[in-house]
Amino acid sequence: MLWLCILLPRFALEASAGAARGPEHPPRPPPAVQAALQNLALWSLQWSGQVSEHAAADGSALLWLEIGASRRLFGDHASLRGCVAAGLIPLGYTHRLGIAPTLQGAALLARAGLATSAVTGTQLLQLLEPLPLALLALPVEQLAALHGAGLRRIGEVLALPAASIAQRFGPDANLYLQRLRGAVHEPLRYVQAPAHFHTRYEFSDPVTDTTALLFPLQRLLAGLQGYLRARERAVQRYTLHLEHRRGAVTRLAVSLTRPSRDAAQLLLLARERLAVTALAAPVHGLGVTASEFLQPLVVQNDLFSRADQQSEQFQQVLDRLGARLGAGAVQAMSSTEEHRPERAWHLHAARLVALTAAAIGPAGGQRDGSERPSRPCWLMSEPRRIDRPQELLAGPERIESGWWDGADVARDYYLAREPNGAQLWVFEDLRGGGWHVHGLWA
Amino acid sequence: MRSQVLHGLNMSSPPLDRDQLRTRLEHMGRTAHADDQGRPTAQPTGFANFDALLPGGGWPVGAITELMPETQGIGELSLLLPALAKLSRAGRYLVWIAPPCLPYPPALAQHGLVLNRVVLVQARDTPSVLWAAEQALRCPAIGAVLAWPAALDDRRVRRLQLAAETGGSCGLLYRPPTAALQPSPAALRLRLKALNAGLHVEIQKARGGRAHALVVYPAAAVCA
Repeated sequence: MLWLCILLPRFALEASAGAARGPEHPPRPPPAVQAALQNLALWSLQWSGQVSEHAAADGSALLWLEIGASRRLFGDHASLRGCVAAGLIPLGYTHRLGIAPTLQGAALLARAGLATSAVTGTQLLQLLEPLPLALLALPVEQLAALHGAGLRRIGEVLALPAASIAQRFGPDANLYLQRLRGAVHEPLRYVQAPAHFHTRYEFSDPVTDTTALLFPLQRLLAGLQGYLRARERAVQRYTLHLEHRRGAVTRLAVSLTRPSRDAAQLLLLARERLAVTALAAPVHGLGVTASEFLQPLVVQNDLFSRADQQSEQFQQVLDRLGARLGAGAVQAMSSTEEHRPERAWHLHAARLVALTAAAIGPAGGQRDGSERPSRPCWLMSEPRRIDRPQELLAGPERIESGWWDGADVARDYYLAREPNGAQLWVFEDLRGGGWHVHGLWA
Repeated sequence: MRSQVLHGLNMSSPPLDRDQLRTRLEHMGRTAHADDQGRPTAQPTGFANFDALLPGGGWPVGAITELMPETQGIGELSLLLPALAKLSRAGRYLVWIAPPCLPYPPALAQHGLVLNRVVLVQARDTPSVLWAAEQALRCPAIGAVLAWPAALDDRRVRRLQLAAETGGSCGLLYRPPTAALQPSPAALRLRLKALNAGLHVEIQKARGGRAHALVVYPAAAVCA
């Protein structure tokens, strides 16, 4: 086993970022800190299947990731260490990392701020040897007792026989030192990825501006990304819960054209959605839930063709337009075989068609209609009543249809020209009488 | 693309002397419509007499064109259809933002547009129209962005111009005829009015070219 320890010395304080910081700021209540730590643990599941977390009473927190098994996926421990560090920076947590074959060893190296990793037990003992006693995770009284016995360096303590340590400094100190050097294994509870994703953040001061939601949201979505990567899944939809007073909640659904598990992309869409959302009431808590999961699109970077890349960019533009303007505002079109002009077409959510477009391909657009009567480029949403046009250039084209579904029409269509040169598509209603304009030859 | 053509010349033609080669290269430079990265800088309009008057030989690519029709229904859309059909058949998307009426799908299909490359965007107000246009113009998969903003100033046009340069698509803005009185950084500005059976096109401004006027005959109005 090889452990990467993430030490978060100011976790309890920083878990409330976005609100006022400083010594006068009251410490976070433990449930909120625990929720933030749980979310960060989900985030770290993307690096390792075995993650354990611990929140300490002094406001610090520890995460351990077993990385011996993940080396195959992420390269050697040095590059994995780099990935984790780079991932932590945008989340805004002060952190130190340590790598060692034992949990306590990794934590101690993180506390010491050593950039060197210990991969074997021997390397660990070599690194520990010159370090001062104060870095040991022991109660102050026991550290004082060790100091009083003339010991100054960790190496000197580890050189003593175990029985002697237990006798002079107590069984707890002995157990800790045994675990530190790897002679005794430590029982651990691993973080489990739940079946549905749910994570939340509690504001210490209620928020009235949606931009204040973005930083905590970035952290929550980082948790979602780790969760999805760990489970080899992606989402096409997730929900933001804006919690107000007395249990009132505003739910905002965020949809994507294609399944994704990229926190940056998920955040971008949420930002568009929030930009056009007026808060009904101050927000006390923020939650993210996702319960429908899909297979991620497997994309190998070296095989990612230019066409795929462009299609991906196009999907992202559709997602952004939909997030900001409303999903119904972005539409694709199709035409059907139907005589009645107002029924010869359909509009539908762009996402469906965009997905099938790749399958149909550009060959779908054969020029048709050379044998059919010409149609105008603009169609009015409703035919508009007009006086009989003075100049009819072409027609009539009789359109008679629909008696079977109760929307029957009988019309004679003409091309008409207005004095200003505009060319209209007009019809004379043979049932109800009167002239109507139905389209424009634009 | 150019090197392929040259290669082809070497393979199939007798060797050219220096002057002949220069003449051939100059000719290709005029007609290939490609910038340094090999992207075309103009999309042929499909009307030969119109292309001949446009600096790149077609609709400016990676730039904004303003169309200012005197009234609706005179062929202001048909002028674009041959180019739009070609772009959609090449797999590029066409995004229509806040059009004044429904672009009628059967008519677009009649003109050869691939319908599953057409996306309609409804936007309530001018800022939304311009925001959507900017997003769409930045995306290289989109071949043309057509937008009908209610109001516009030259600062906003410049923003859209930058977005079009980034994405390399044709930005086509429909504006009222009164817009012709204001200056604009658009690469091409056209005033359109009906003239008998044709469409009178006044090239008010063409970057790298000259003002001109001509009549084109879009196919749309030739009715049964």
